[in-house]
Amino acid sequence: MSLALVKMSRPSPVDELAARYPDVPRLIIVKTDVQRRGVHYAENALGLLDERLHQTTGTHIFGARDGKIAARPESLLLRDGSSIITTPTPLEENPYVVDLRDGQPWLFDEGVPMEQVDYWPAPAFYAKTSSSGVPMKNIVSARPQRLNIFPYRYCTFWNNGKGCSFCDIVEQLKKGNKELQIPAKLDPVEVGEVVGEALKEPGRFSSVFLTSGSIVGGTRPFDDEVDYYIAILKEVGKNFRTFKYPSQMIGTAFDKEQLRRLYAETGLTSFTSDIEVLDEELFNRYCPGKTEWIGYQEWKRRLVDAVDIFGRGRVNTGLVAGIELAGPHGFRSEDEALEKTLSEAEELARQGVSTVFIVWSPRPDTPLGKYRNASLDYYIRLARGLHALRVKYRLPIDHDSYRNCGNHPDSDLSRLLPLWEE
Amino acid sequence: MPDVRNEIVTLLNDSAMVASIATLDENGVPRSAPSPFLRLDEKGRLVHLELLETSTTHRNLLRSIWFGRPVSITLTGSGDRVLVVSGQPHKAHVSGPLFSDYYREVRARLGDADLVAVWLIEPDQVSDETYLVRKEREEELYPFHRHLDRLAVQNS
Repeated sequence: MSLALVKMSRPSPVDELAARYPDVPRLIIVKTDVQRRGVHYAENALGLLDERLHQTTGTHIFGARDGKIAARPESLLLRDGSSIITTPTPLEENPYVVDLRDGQPWLFDEGVPMEQVDYWPAPAFYAKTSSSGVPMKNIVSARPQRLNIFPYRYCTFWNNGKGCSFCDIVEQLKKGNKELQIPAKLDPVEVGEVVGEALKEPGRFSSVFLTSGSIVGGTRPFDDEVDYYIAILKEVGKNFRTFKYPSQMIGTAFDKEQLRRLYAETGLTSFTSDIEVLDEELFNRYCPGKTEWIGYQEWKRRLVDAVDIFGRGRVNTGLVAGIELAGPHGFRSEDEALEKTLSEAEELARQGVSTVFIVWSPRPDTPLGKYRNASLDYYIRLARGLHALRVKYRLPIDHDSYRNCGNHPDSDLSRLLPLWEE
Repeated sequence: MPDVRNEIVTLLNDSAMVASIATLDENGVPRSAPSPFLRLDEKGRLVHLELLETSTTHRNLLRSIWFGRPVSITLTGSGDRVLVVSGQPHKAHVSGPLFSDYYREVRARLGDADLVAVWLIEPDQVSDETYLVRKEREEELYPFHRHLDRLAVQNS
């Protein structure tokens, strides 16, 4: 029996929220709830999946919520052109179900059809192999409009067990090595080769994205990480006629000299460094490696320093929203969490740093994996609050938008930011 | 909606045809803009190409798909033939084979141009706004709207 045939008797939480917040599009509420609850693919929906046409799971730096590596759609596109970046989730956790309706994939909530979706299209270069014989999709992956480079699938904060409490990068690396033959560390020249191949597909990509785990080594801490990024960005840059090209990097919070090098020596045009949670005590608890090597206040100072180099609207930080409410150490109420988060985000916005969030997706192989994420109402209020700060402080977020990322309900709202320059 | 696909297709195939799309901004102010690539897809949806992410029309179309606001498309052909189609944005293609095909077409026609989205618009009403058709209809149904001098005996 199709999983989509069970009828729901109570009003949909999405429709309740759409009525409560008429300024928030229903599509963004659906997207947020799907990110919150995850998805389960019905057999019919998987039957439609064609690896020649669609992107399938397996290339990402982080793992799935059900802990499995299997061919499933990488993620979904909504009718407004935005993406839902979500992971397959066990049925007992009440995820949305992707099933077929009139031959098209749809999202169902307890049997009720919610939205038509598309699987992410596979780019042409996914069918090719690099000059060293590695499948190109294991070197550079894709979102609907973005090239993803995950050059180093390890984070050295884990060397002494101080990785972030929500992160499964190391577990995913082990699976990636064993089951997918994804190289742990990429050769910059080979990355440049694959990007060159990807650019042969007209109209497919509008930005280059780079992120890896932190690398603490070097003359100064993180010099090795910076050197490696520079080597890759230079090789990528050889494919462009212009020195600068639309690009985003999520890196560790580098010091000013390291940021200057990144900007001056490469085509990089924006900088993101994820603080993960906007509360010092929770940051210290859940991000012990970041605390040990940089510290909460210094992390924020370095974000502000990056604005001097990359410019207003070209620097932001990311939150794993929901961890601030998880377990015995989290905020006691969503109101309290929201007030603290938006207050600290405003302090950053005043200094030119934007804040975006992803919906925390508890993963089984992590210390926080046993807890639940926050309510849909909380995430919608957070999205409205962060968008309102961008309006108030005139901060564009083009480099982390629906086109260039797609993982932030708040920057989806900012598709309609005022056009201040005009 | 009556099947008027043939009428739209005929007009779209008219080399003299000019199309424009009217959308609403956040304050309900209408905005009309040319739609030079307009066509009909195999499911009877109008296809409008947006070339700029920050164009008012693109932002208004996004507002329409988010909040259920209507849009209107006017097709003007030779012989003063005019069709006005109102509808709702159904989908914005931003990636994939359909998008790529239109991207190539735009660049073949305009040179170094970009494409932001392929908007599919589901028509829900079509009206024939050709002047002579409307005039005949109005005079039949609303005789009080005419000026009397048009009915008066012509004295040379």
